[in-house]
Amino acid sequence: MNRELFELNTTISNMKDLMASDLDPYDAIYLGNPFCRDYEANFLEELDDLRVGIRHCREAGCKVYLSTYAAPRNYFMPQIRRAIGVAAEEGVDAVEAHNLGVVRMLRTEFPAVPIHIGGFANVYTDTGAAVLGDYGSVRVTPNYELSLEEIEGMAKSTGLHVEILVHGKMPLGISDYCFLLEYEKDWGMKCPDLCQQDLFLRQGEWAMKSVGKGVLSGRDVCMLEHLPHLVAAGFRFFRVESISEDPAYRRDVAAVYREALEEVLNGAFQLREGWWEKIQTHTKVGLCNGFYFGQSGQLYIGNQQSAGFGETSARPSTELGRMSSVEPLSRAVNNQLRVIS
Amino acid sequence: MVELLVPAGNIQMVQAAVENGANSLYVGPRGWSRRRDAYEMSDEALRESVRIAHARGVKVRAAVNTHPTSSELAPLLRQMEVWVGDGIDGVILSDVGVMAAVHQAFPALSIHASIGANILNDEDILFYREIGVSQVVADTKLSLKELRSRREIEVGVEVLIHANKCYTYLGKCWMSPYHRLERGHDETGKDFFKGSPNRGGLDYRVCLEAWSLWRGNQDRWADRVSLKNDAFFLLDDIPPLIDMGVHTLKMQGREYAVDLVGRMVKFYRDLIDAYTADPRGFDLDPWKTRLAQIQAQRDLERAKGTLDLFNEARQPVRTCCT
Repeated sequence: MNRELFELNTTISNMKDLMASDLDPYDAIYLGNPFCRDYEANFLEELDDLRVGIRHCREAGCKVYLSTYAAPRNYFMPQIRRAIGVAAEEGVDAVEAHNLGVVRMLRTEFPAVPIHIGGFANVYTDTGAAVLGDYGSVRVTPNYELSLEEIEGMAKSTGLHVEILVHGKMPLGISDYCFLLEYEKDWGMKCPDLCQQDLFLRQGEWAMKSVGKGVLSGRDVCMLEHLPHLVAAGFRFFRVESISEDPAYRRDVAAVYREALEEVLNGAFQLREGWWEKIQTHTKVGLCNGFYFGQSGQLYIGNQQSAGFGETSARPSTELGRMSSVEPLSRAVNNQLRVIS
Repeated sequence: MVELLVPAGNIQMVQAAVENGANSLYVGPRGWSRRRDAYEMSDEALRESVRIAHARGVKVRAAVNTHPTSSELAPLLRQMEVWVGDGIDGVILSDVGVMAAVHQAFPALSIHASIGANILNDEDILFYREIGVSQVVADTKLSLKELRSRREIEVGVEVLIHANKCYTYLGKCWMSPYHRLERGHDETGKDFFKGSPNRGGLDYRVCLEAWSLWRGNQDRWADRVSLKNDAFFLLDDIPPLIDMGVHTLKMQGREYAVDLVGRMVKFYRDLIDAYTADPRGFDLDPWKTRLAQIQAQRDLERAKGTLDLFNEARQPVRTCCT
């Protein structure tokens, strides 16, 4: 495995999910649920679990990052401080901050802890990324609304590592209010079980996934057939967003991407039927490309229009894979590789 | 004395705001603010707004509170030079990079962090202050208790008293462009990102659609699920906010009719003046009756606007470019 050439990571909210998950396809794990303090046994609240979880990931050969709350109010901050303190004691590899107050807290109180900027931090511009670089951030997930072209420009102009979502449900919003609680009586189910029920908001052809306070895309972002382009453009940090998924999704989807990325880097990438079959098994609503190609986030651009993937038998063909080859790596890419290894 | 900051989506609204007692008003330069272009202003209109406002001692802020693309930063700074030359008194920004660049290029210009910056805690405020922000807009979801702690920090605090409270935190939502995003450029190359409130200003309000809730693909759990989006009138809180010493009370509503905005401005002007003249003898009840009449007209206009947006959100995207 080319563990040193790229990083494939995901998010896991609690110990139960961590223990049920096969971490083998992953290089790094973000621990903690950034949406809700009441999420069942959230690592950000259960600090003994966090310690054990960090050690467990390490033993599995993964780097470990702590993900923090995306919309923290004043009264969240003491708990965030405690969680970062525990993570720092355990030698966590980085802390992901979606909130600029948390970024400042990290810089002033935990200067040795590397900072990753999360997708809710609203990094839209190169200058914005550079400001956060000045605050000690080493990695940025740009806002999900940015196109690949913009993200490539950001990586080049700032020199920061850039992480992108390659598969899974893209975050679309966060609230302070969980509307699911209104239905506890009707459905005979309570928090914290409600938001773990694989719930989709549907309106005609539109769909979004609800995780209570968080809203995610209904369709799964899928960049499988675009991996050669992503690698050629210099991207090396890839997220499979499985925060609201079951362990089988977490394992199977990452295994596909791990294999595909290794083939891209070996110059032998070819889309395989088996990969699409695995992806299809775990796709409930369909696939999309998010905003990467400068269009509405729910659309899919690829060799085959597979937006209905998961609801129909439509499947992307393998033509693009046969056409693709890995372009020469740029100097920026080589620099990134040196840093990772 | 607390400042009453009001919206102005066109020259007539500027006049209505000034005549009805605004201390300051904000306008959106075309292409750069969190509203659709119909409620924004050309450079000429902005210049005229400043002239009208300044003649009555009213300040003008330019709301440049969308997130531009990186390539738009240089043209934005050139535009900023024009607006500063025209006499704006401050600028409302959302993007951290834009804030830092504007502060560097125009160190004397007052920068206010927009509601779109989604400032939620005191550490947030300290961060923004460090990069050159002098005033912050408090998120609509914050409690009075949370706002009180802001007094400990040397920063101007602006509170929305008349607005809408989204289901999501403002600035942290891209549900609308997920469903429909239309790209298009003006003659200067500015991308309008139609459908993205963060990037282009227009929000299709898809959260207000009548959603059904399903478990997986088969199990329909509920119909007409509501993602809360309420009118937000802080009438009861205005006296304590004034006592607390907040710097600015702000209204939203560039998209409403001029006469409605005029009535809203007059209402809040009268209320603030009545309370500050006699805090002990102040009675809120008659104000609640008066606000109810304004709210009825406002709700009607908003409902119609929402239906139009739903229809627009279902239209095919006319152009696509990257």
